[in-house]
Amino acid sequence: MSTTCPACSAPVADGDAFCEQCGSGLTAHAVAAPSEQPAAAAGTNGRACSACGGSVLDDGFCERCGAKAPTERDHWCESPAAWIGGVCDKGIAHARNEDAMALAGLDDRSLAVLVVCDGVTSAPDSDRASLAAARAACSALVATPAADSRAAAGIISHWTDALVLACTAANGAAVGVARTLGDPPEAPSCTFVAAVLQRDVATVAWCGDSRAYWLPDSATAQPLTVDHSLGTELMQGGMTREQAEADSTFHTITRWLGADSVDSTPEVHSVQLSSPGWLLVCSDGLWNYASSPEAITAVIGEQLAAGNTEPLALAEALVRWANGRGGHDNITAALARHQPSLR
Amino acid sequence: MADFTAEVFQNEYLPEGATDTHAVVSVSCANAGKAGTSGEVAEVIIIDTSGSMDMPPAKIAAARRAAKVAIGEIVDGAWFAVLSGHSVAQMVYPTHPGMAKMSEITRAEALAKVGRLRSGGATAIGAWINAATELFEQTSGAQCHAILLTDGKIEGEDSLVLTHALRSAAGKFQCDCRGIGQDWVVEELREISTALLGTVDIVAKPEQLEADFEDMMRTAMSRGVGDVRLRVWTPQGSELLFVRQVAPAVEDITSRGVQISPLVREFPTGAWSDESRDFHVAVKVPVAPVGNERLAARVELVVNDQVLAKSLVKAVWSTDTDLTTRIDPAVAHYTGQAQLADAIRKGLAARSAGDERTATVLLGEAAKLAHQSGNENTTRLLAKVVDVVDADAGTVRLKQNVEKTDEMALDTRSTKTTRIRRTS
Repeated sequence: MSTTCPACSAPVADGDAFCEQCGSGLTAHAVAAPSEQPAAAAGTNGRACSACGGSVLDDGFCERCGAKAPTERDHWCESPAAWIGGVCDKGIAHARNEDAMALAGLDDRSLAVLVVCDGVTSAPDSDRASLAAARAACSALVATPAADSRAAAGIISHWTDALVLACTAANGAAVGVARTLGDPPEAPSCTFVAAVLQRDVATVAWCGDSRAYWLPDSATAQPLTVDHSLGTELMQGGMTREQAEADSTFHTITRWLGADSVDSTPEVHSVQLSSPGWLLVCSDGLWNYASSPEAITAVIGEQLAAGNTEPLALAEALVRWANGRGGHDNITAALARHQPSLR
Repeated sequence: MADFTAEVFQNEYLPEGATDTHAVVSVSCANAGKAGTSGEVAEVIIIDTSGSMDMPPAKIAAARRAAKVAIGEIVDGAWFAVLSGHSVAQMVYPTHPGMAKMSEITRAEALAKVGRLRSGGATAIGAWINAATELFEQTSGAQCHAILLTDGKIEGEDSLVLTHALRSAAGKFQCDCRGIGQDWVVEELREISTALLGTVDIVAKPEQLEADFEDMMRTAMSRGVGDVRLRVWTPQGSELLFVRQVAPAVEDITSRGVQISPLVREFPTGAWSDESRDFHVAVKVPVAPVGNERLAARVELVVNDQVLAKSLVKAVWSTDTDLTTRIDPAVAHYTGQAQLADAIRKGLAARSAGDERTATVLLGEAAKLAHQSGNENTTRLLAKVVDVVDADAGTVRLKQNVEKTDEMALDTRSTKTTRIRRTS
């Protein structure tokens, strides 16, 4: 399995603690880069077609029904610790997966990092920008020492600063993709949302319309982000959510990362979590089908009731659910299961 | 080993709910080598020596000269035989029923025998084919090719004999057919050339025969790769609508397909020289949701069960009409060339059946298609049979005094296509 540095994408050997190229720490957090090759489960020849169960040939298509086998970039999962899981999926209608995610966390439940970036479809190669940005942010956050303060205020201020720096690193990575491509007229660009969960504090930074939610087990979801989009401006101007969503400009984002970004400063928000629940970070491919807090609460409730109670299984279930609704956009769902620490 | 390459030209985007996928697969062969370099080669020359070949005697004289030229082109070491065809097929060279190995000595002997060909008897083409099949059975495994020359239609033989003969000959050898003069029947020779993966053409004047035979045998000797198959996989639940060779000539090869596994069919294409051939493949695939990408066909070139080139025909469903309404230029061009060949064949059939109205409409359509696609050869051949009033509108008048040989030339050569001009 080839592994690349999450910060600079240079190849690194399994077991290396640091990247030889850029010096980023790699321990436990380096994840195999999703490749354009068809996802290889167990050996390349014995692979089963997800549509009909036939075997997938070396040309990447099923030998029986002809369905194209998804590449690793089209669909992949991450679960850096058992209580953290995410799925990034192409969806159905789009030709490629321009969403990206990067997750990190510690087994002792003391830290979770969830980053999701959604590539801007109108600009070519935004799938590369989103992946570079997500990995750069995650890497920057992982490299940040945990807050030494036990007080909530200290933790919030610590991660607020770290998230702003992580967003700068993500923007730098997205700009770097444009440089590598010789600065194309349409700069590859993406949204950004990153959540850090330490102790009972979740801190979220974002640019654009990818979202974070806090979903307590026994109450309605609490949005932790407000979209940077014309949709938000329409609602601030007095439209209802339904009216705004019917407007063609609803999804036009007003902040993003990339070489042509006018404003890549993240907005940061923190919340103290005193009950058990789920921290969800997702792209619009998911929330489009459950835009209101009530709707997303109901969807999560349904999937939990169906037995998808582990983070990865729940993320898979949410992606499947969105694909069942048409999969009109790329879909990413990243989750961390929160249990309040005893005081 | 020869180098095969296959390139696909198609618009893979289908609108929601659509199922029909069209692609042109362009196959090129390089470094084919000469016949006999990678295996044995066998040639049989069949010369019509029925009574009519003496009327006028220039025909049999031309046939003797043409056979000599063809023998001169056969490479040393090849198996060969010459048959004289009349009421039966008779060995000319060697004199025993079998093949000779080409050498300085056998070549000289064969030339001497051919110089003494005499005519007399009927035209039992089915029997000639059977005789050739028996000869080629002695050289099975070799790259087998025959040239058949006749000047008349089948006589003194039930038409079923030819049908049966072709059934047992198919796959054993390729056969190029030539008709000299105007008393032979295009349909009969076309039946042979189609079944035996060869060509059919008219040689209107005896003096043209030598050059034609030389050319035919040279082409046969330039084919260094024998028995090339087009292997086509289509997905479960799909229907292979047709496989059509579209360049250098139109030939529907769908019915030649041999099922080798539930989803795979193989189409024999005969021997190849350094050349290009284009195939139009049409598949009806099960519909898939918008955004899905599926394979509609895997098209492979196979020699001795070895895949030498492979190309993929795809289907991608989209709601983007900019993508789905585009017609691939190669598919459009060759669809037109196939329509052109069809219009000519049906138009000529209507004319000979006395249905001048249908003939005028169809040949008018042909004139339009030939003009629009820049098929100058066909335009020229058509102009000998019809007066073109308005090529763009497809308006023609049937000529009243048409040379029979001009009509036959149009009939046999109407399948030749122009290649699409590829933008560089």
